[in-house]
Amino acid sequence: MAANFRARRPPSPPPQQIYTPPPTQPRFPHPKHEHLDADERRTQASKSYFAGRRTSPGGLNVASAEWKLLVLVVIVASIVRLFRISQPNGVVFDEVHFGKFASKYIKTQFFVDVHPPLAKLLITLAGFLFGYDGNFDFKEISKIYENVPYVAMRMVPAILGVATVPLAYLTMRGLECRATTALLAAVFVTFENGLVTQSRHILLDSPLLFFTSLTTFLWVCFCNEDKRHPFSEGWWTWLMLTGLSLGAVVSCKWVGLFTIATIGFSTINQLWSLLGDLRVSPRLWIRHFMARALCLIVVPILFYLFIFEIHFLILANSGEGDGFMSAEFQHTLGGHSMQDTYADIAIGSAVNIRHINTQGGYLHSHAHNYPGGSGQQQVTLYPHRDSNNDWRITIAKDSGHPETEWADEPLQYVTAGMKVRLRHIITDKNLHSHDFRPPVSDVDFQNEVSTYGMTGFVGDGNDDWFVEIEHGDKSDKESSKRLRTLRTAFRLKHALTGCYLFSHKVKLPDWGFEQQEVTCNKNAMKANSLWMVETATHPNLPLHAQKVNYRLPSFLAKFWELQKVMWITNAGLTDRHVYDSRPHQWPRLRRGINFWVKDHKQIYLLGNPFVWWSSTLAAIAYMSVRGLLVLRAKRGYRDFDNTKVVKYDSLCGFLFMGWFLHYTPFFLMARQLFLHHYFPALYFAILLFCSFFDLMTAALRPKVRLQIGAVLMIIAIWNFWYLSPLAYGNQWTSHKCRRAQWLRTWDFSW
Amino acid sequence: MSSPAGPSRIGGLGPRHRKPPTVEPRVPTEDYDEEHERLTTNFNHPRNRSAIEQYMEAPHAKQITVVVLTVLAFIVRFAKLNHPDQVVFDEVHFGKFAAYYLRREYYFDVHPPFAKLLLALAGWFVGFEGDFDFLNIGDSYSANNVPYWGMRALPAILGSLTVPVVYYIMQECGYSTIIAAFSAIIILFDNAHVTQSRLILLDAILIFFMSLTIYSYVKFRKYRYHEFTFDWWAWMLATGVFMACTWSSKVNGILTVVAVGIAVMVDLWDLLDWRKSDNERITKHFLARVVGFIVVPLIFYLFFFWIHFAILTHSGTGDGFMSPAFQETLIGNELLMNSHEIRYFDTITIKHVNTKNLLHSHPQRYPRDYPDKRVSSQGQQVTGYPHEDENNNWIVVPTKALPETGRGRIVRHNDIIQLLHVQTDSFLMTHDVASPGYTTHQEFTTLPKDQMHRYNETLFHLHLIDGYEGQVLTTKANHFKLQHAVTTVYMMLPGHELPDWAFNQQEVNGHRQPEPEGSEIWVGDAIVAGEHLDELDERLGNQKDRKPKSMNFFSKFIQLQDLMFAHNAGLTASHPYASSPSSWPFAKKGISFWTQNEGHKQIYMVGNLVGWWTAAGAVFLIFGIFPASIFAERRNIPVLTESVTHRLWNSCGFFVVVWVVHYAPFFLFSRQLFLHHYLPAHLASALIAGAVLNFICTETINYPISYRGLDTPPKPREYADLGVKGPVFVGVFTLLQFSLFIFMAPLTYGTPGLDGDEVNRHRLRKSWTLHFASKEMADL
Repeated sequence: MAANFRARRPPSPPPQQIYTPPPTQPRFPHPKHEHLDADERRTQASKSYFAGRRTSPGGLNVASAEWKLLVLVVIVASIVRLFRISQPNGVVFDEVHFGKFASKYIKTQFFVDVHPPLAKLLITLAGFLFGYDGNFDFKEISKIYENVPYVAMRMVPAILGVATVPLAYLTMRGLECRATTALLAAVFVTFENGLVTQSRHILLDSPLLFFTSLTTFLWVCFCNEDKRHPFSEGWWTWLMLTGLSLGAVVSCKWVGLFTIATIGFSTINQLWSLLGDLRVSPRLWIRHFMARALCLIVVPILFYLFIFEIHFLILANSGEGDGFMSAEFQHTLGGHSMQDTYADIAIGSAVNIRHINTQGGYLHSHAHNYPGGSGQQQVTLYPHRDSNNDWRITIAKDSGHPETEWADEPLQYVTAGMKVRLRHIITDKNLHSHDFRPPVSDVDFQNEVSTYGMTGFVGDGNDDWFVEIEHGDKSDKESSKRLRTLRTAFRLKHALTGCYLFSHKVKLPDWGFEQQEVTCNKNAMKANSLWMVETATHPNLPLHAQKVNYRLPSFLAKFWELQKVMWITNAGLTDRHVYDSRPHQWPRLRRGINFWVKDHKQIYLLGNPFVWWSSTLAAIAYMSVRGLLVLRAKRGYRDFDNTKVVKYDSLCGFLFMGWFLHYTPFFLMARQLFLHHYFPALYFAILLFCSFFDLMTAALRPKVRLQIGAVLMIIAIWNFWYLSPLAYGNQWTSHKCRRAQWLRTWDFSW
Repeated sequence: MSSPAGPSRIGGLGPRHRKPPTVEPRVPTEDYDEEHERLTTNFNHPRNRSAIEQYMEAPHAKQITVVVLTVLAFIVRFAKLNHPDQVVFDEVHFGKFAAYYLRREYYFDVHPPFAKLLLALAGWFVGFEGDFDFLNIGDSYSANNVPYWGMRALPAILGSLTVPVVYYIMQECGYSTIIAAFSAIIILFDNAHVTQSRLILLDAILIFFMSLTIYSYVKFRKYRYHEFTFDWWAWMLATGVFMACTWSSKVNGILTVVAVGIAVMVDLWDLLDWRKSDNERITKHFLARVVGFIVVPLIFYLFFFWIHFAILTHSGTGDGFMSPAFQETLIGNELLMNSHEIRYFDTITIKHVNTKNLLHSHPQRYPRDYPDKRVSSQGQQVTGYPHEDENNNWIVVPTKALPETGRGRIVRHNDIIQLLHVQTDSFLMTHDVASPGYTTHQEFTTLPKDQMHRYNETLFHLHLIDGYEGQVLTTKANHFKLQHAVTTVYMMLPGHELPDWAFNQQEVNGHRQPEPEGSEIWVGDAIVAGEHLDELDERLGNQKDRKPKSMNFFSKFIQLQDLMFAHNAGLTASHPYASSPSSWPFAKKGISFWTQNEGHKQIYMVGNLVGWWTAAGAVFLIFGIFPASIFAERRNIPVLTESVTHRLWNSCGFFVVVWVVHYAPFFLFSRQLFLHHYLPAHLASALIAGAVLNFICTETINYPISYRGLDTPPKPREYADLGVKGPVFVGVFTLLQFSLFIFMAPLTYGTPGLDGDEVNRHRLRKSWTLHFASKEMADL
C-alpha cells in the first residue's frame, strides 16, 4: 500500500507553494508551572479559566455539534424508558402506595405517609389532568387497572428519568471532562436496568434522582461561575436555582437530605478556601457566607414549606391519616368539626376525657370484663365518639348520694388537688385501680385499671383520684387553677397507691377489641399520663354559660406536627420485607426486588451488572489511590504539584463525596431498606467511573479515546439487553432466564 | 478580662479588641514582639512567679497535696462502708458472679471477667465461701453471714486511688499543683463516683484502670525523645497492660482502647512525616506499637479468659447459653450425663433448637384450598408441637446396609436417612408444593410405606453442625440440619402458627436459605425406644461417671465472645431508671440503687451538680476555644504563643478525644443505658476542666515538659503562674463542691433517713425521682 501511495504522489512539492515547516512547539505543550503557587495551579488546571476565552454561562463549553448529539441521546433514552410503558396493565410493587396516595389527593382525604409530598403531587397532577377520578383502590400488586390513566401517571417518573440522562452529560461537561466521557456517562445512565425499571412505574425514586442530578448540575455550574465572576447576575441565578432544586429533592423524599449534605460539605470547603485566602476581606467573606446561607438554607426551607402548604390545601378533608394526628389537627379537617362545648367543669359534669400524647382516643369502658387479673370491667382508650366514653365527675366520699346530691347544691368547680371519682354513666361503675398487674404490660410498676361497682354502691377508697393540673392555657387564666374543657392538661393520681392514670401505644388482644391499654403507672412518663376534657355538660349550668371549641393550629404548628409523625412512622418501619436488603449488599448487586409477577412474566428490579460493578470499583479505586497519594505526600513525594493530579483530585473528590454521603448514612438506619435506596449513590458512582475514564484516557488521541469509550458502551448496552426482559416484563424463555441468573442470590423465580 | 499580661486571648477574638484585619496578610507587629518578649522574660525564670505559685510548686507542697487528697478519698469512700447490710442494685449480679467463682460454677455474663475475678479474689480473701445467692435487692447480708464489706472494700480502694492518679495525670501534663488538685477534687467529692465505688460494682474498677491507662500513656509520650530506651518501653507496655485490664473489666472499657488507639494513630501520623523519620525508623516505631498496643493487651485479655475458664469447671447457670460441645466440658452438666449415641432403628424425638418444638405429625391432612386460592397436596400434616406426645416419635431408618451388631449401627455425620413416623407408619418427605403459610417454602408431609415409587423424596442428608466425617449423632449434644436429598431444601420451623385445622401448631416447611437464622437447626431430644426392647437400658446406663470432655481454649473463647456481643446488643428492654446519653453531662436523672421503708432510707446515684456542671461548662468552652484557635490560624492572626497552642492541642486535645470516645458512641447504642455509663467520660471532663481553668486564668504554662533527648534542640523554659485568681477560684469551688457533697450525703451513703420534706429539699432537679417524697405534692 505504501508503495502505491508514493507512486501516485507528485515527485516534489509544486514550486509555487512555499513549504512551511511544522511549528516547533509540540502540539500539547507541557505547561511550565513550577513558578506557580497552589491557587494559580488550580486555575491553570481549569480549562475554562483562560483569559480571553469566550465565557459561557456556568462554564459550560458545549460545542454546537454536541447539542445535536445530546438530542440523539435524549431520543435514545426516551425509547429505552418509554418502551411499552403501558405494560403491565396492573399494579406494580409500590404503586400500591403511591397510586393510592394519588387517589387520596384527588378525593382530598387526609393521609399520612413517610415521604414529603412533591413527587406524589406531580404524579397526582398527571392523573388529574388525564381525568382520574380517584376511585381505584390500588389494593394489591397485579390488580388490573380500571379507569385509571396509569400511563400518564407513569409518564411523570419516566420523563424525569429521561431528563436525568442529558443532565449527566452536562454535569460531566461542567466538570471539565471531555465530550466522550460525558457521552459515556449518558449511555451508562440510559442503559442502567435498575434506573430504567424504577422510572417506568409510579414510584418516587425517579423524581428524587432527577432532582438530585439537577442539583448536582446546577451546583457544578455555580462553582464554575464562582471561579470567574462572584456576585454576578449569573452567579446569583445558578446559586438560587441550586437552592430551589435542593428544596425539591428534599420534598420528594427525606433521602434528599443526603444531597443537601453533599452540597453543604462542598460549600463549607469553598468557604474554608476563601477563609484561608487573606486577600478576601472579612466583609467580602461574610457576603459570600450570607449569600450561600440565603440560597442554600433559607430558600430550600421555604420551598419545602410551600410544598406542604399545597399538601394541606389539597387534603382538606378527613381520611385514613386522622388517627396519627392530634385532636387539634384533626379539627382542621373537614368532617371532624365538633359542637361548641361548655368551658366550665364542676362536680356532676358529664365529660369525655381524651388522652393527649397518643392518638388512642377517649377514656372508655364497656360491659366486658378482663379475662385475667381482677376480672372486673375493662377500661380502654377508644378513638371514636361513643356513649361509652361518658363519665360523670363526682365527689369522693363514702356516704350519701354522690351521684345525685350535687344537683341540689351550688356549682362546685373541679380545682387542682381535689379528690374525685369518675362514674361510668352507662354501666354505673366507678373508675377503679388496685394492686393487680395489667393484662398486657405485666410489670411491677403498673397497676390494672378497671371499673367497679353497681347501681346504688357509693364506691370505695380505690375509686378516689386526685386531680393534678399540669398546665393550663395561656389565653385562659382560670384553666391553670381549675379544670376547663379543652384548655387544661391534667393528671389523675390514684389516692391510695400514688400511681397515675396512664396509657401508651399498646393494644389489648382480641378480648379487648384491640383498643388501647389503660393502666395506672407508678413511674409514669409524664407525657403519657396527661389527659384533657374534650366535652363537658352540666345540667345546672346556665344556658348562656361560656362555650369553647378547639383552637385551630397555625400552618407552622400543623407542619411541625406532621414532620414529627412522619419521623416516628419512618423510624417505625422496621418489619422485614421479603425483598428488603442491607446496605452492604448494594454495591455488589447481591439481590434485586421482585416488582411484579404474572403469567410467567416478571418485573424484577436489578441493575446493569457491568455499570454497577464498574462504578463500585471506581469508588474503591478512588479510596485507595487517594489514600496512597496522602501517604506519599507525607513521605515527601510531590504529587500534588502536578496540575493534572490537582484537577482530577478535586473533581473525583466531589463525586466521591456525593457517593459516600448518599450511601454510608444508610448503615445507621434500622428501618426496612431496599436496593433502590442506592440509586442516588449509584448515580455519583457512575459519574466517578466516567471521570476515571477521563483521567486514564487523558494522554490518548481523541480517536483512541472514542474507541475505548465505544467498547465500554457496547458492553453496557449488551448487558442491558441481556437482562432487559426483567425490566420490561417481556416474554422470556426459561432457558434464557436460567442462564441470566449470574449470581445465585439473584432470586427471580424460574 | 484584662489581666496584667495584656489583652486576654478570648476577648482578643471579639470585635471589641481587634479591628477587622486589612486585606494584606497580617505580619507580626511590633506590639506583638514586645508582648512576646515580656512574656518570655517574665516567665522564663521561676522566681518571677507569684508567691503562692512558688510555694505550691515546691516538692514538699506537692507531696502534702497528694497525701491529703488520697487520705480524704479513702475517708469519703470507706465511711460507713458496711451500710446498708443488704444487697444493693447490681450487687445482685456482680456479687452473685463472685459467688459463682468461689463455687466454681459456670455462669454467663456480658462483661469480661477481670473485674469480677478481682471481686471474687477479695471475697476469697475475707473468707466468703460463695454460699449466698444475692437473689434480690434488699436481701440481708448480716443475716446470712456474708463478709460483704470485704468485697466492697476492693472497689472502694481502687476508687480512692483514682483520685491521686487523676492528680498525677494533670501534674505530668505540666499543669500547676492547684490545677491538678482541682481536677482531682472534682472526682474526690463527687457523689456519683463515691456511690459507685462503695458497692460491689465494676465501674470503680473500670475507672481506676482507665485513669492508669491515661497516666501511663502521658508518661510514654513524655519519653518520646528517648525512643526504644527502657523507660519508653516500660511505659508503653504499662499502657498496654492497663488498657487490657480496663477492657477486661467491662465491655465499655473497649472505648479506652479506642481512645488510646486514636492517640497512637495521630502520633504515628506525625512520625510518618518524611522530614522526621526515614523508612527504617518509622517501621521500627510501627512494629513497637503493634507489640505494645495490640499484641500485649490481647495476650492479657486472653489470659483473663483463660483464668475464667480454668476456675469455672463445674456446671452452673450459664450452661444453657453455650453450645453442646462447650457444655460437655463442664463437670456435672446435664448434657454430659444424658447424651447418648443414636443407632439406626432407634425411636427418637426431634426438637427444634430455637423454639423447643418437637417434630410432630398426625393423621389429619392439609386442607385442599387455602384462603389465598392456592391448593395443597392434601398430604398428612407435619408440624411442630411443644408438648410430649406419642405422635412425636420417629424411627431413624438407614439407607445403607448395616452390620448385625456393633458400632456400625450408629448414625453418623453426612449419612442419608429416612424418618418413619411411628403412629401412622409413614415416612417424612417434602416435595415441590408450597407450604400453607409461605408461597416460597416447600410443604412437609409424610408418605405411606407402600408408595415406593416416591422413595427418593423421603431421603434426607444429615448434616451435623460443625461436624466432621464419621462423627456420631448423639441426643442433646449434636445439633443438626436435615437437607432434602432431591430438592436440597432444609427442614425448618420459621415460627408461623397454623390455623385451627392444624390445632394452632407450628408450621414446618423447607427452604434453601432458611430465615430467620438458625431456624433449620434441630437436635435429637431423647431416645424413646431401641430396636430391641431390653437393649436400651443397658446402653443408657453407666453414664454417671462420665469424664468431662476437653475443648480448645480458643474455640471456647470465640464462642463466649460471640455470645457476649449478641447479648449486649440484646439488652434493649426498658428500665424505669434508664436514661438517654444527652441527659448525662448535667446529671438530669439518677438511679435509685436501694430503698428501705423503715427509716425512709435510700441510695440515689447521681452526680455532684457543682462538679458536673463545672466540668460540662469546661467541655462547652473547649469546643468554643478549638474552633476559635483554628479560625485564628487560618486567618493568620497570632493570638496564642506557640507553647500554649502546643499544650492546647496535644494535652487538652487528648483529654477531649478521651471524653468524646467515652461518650459519643453511646448515642449509637440502642441498649439500656444508665447514668453510670457516663462516669469514665466524666473523669475525662474533669481533666478538661483543669486544662480549661489553666487556659482561662493565665497564658503561661510549664513548658517544655517532655524529657529532653540527647539530640533534641533546647527550647526556652517557661513557667506557669496562676497568680491569685487560680487558687481563689479553686478554693471557692472546693468549698461549694464539698458543701453540696455533704448535703447530698444521705442519698449517697443511704443514711440517715430523710422525711418527706427533706426528700423534697434534696430533689435539686425536678427530674430526679427520689422515693419517700412528701405526699403533699399532690395538693400543691
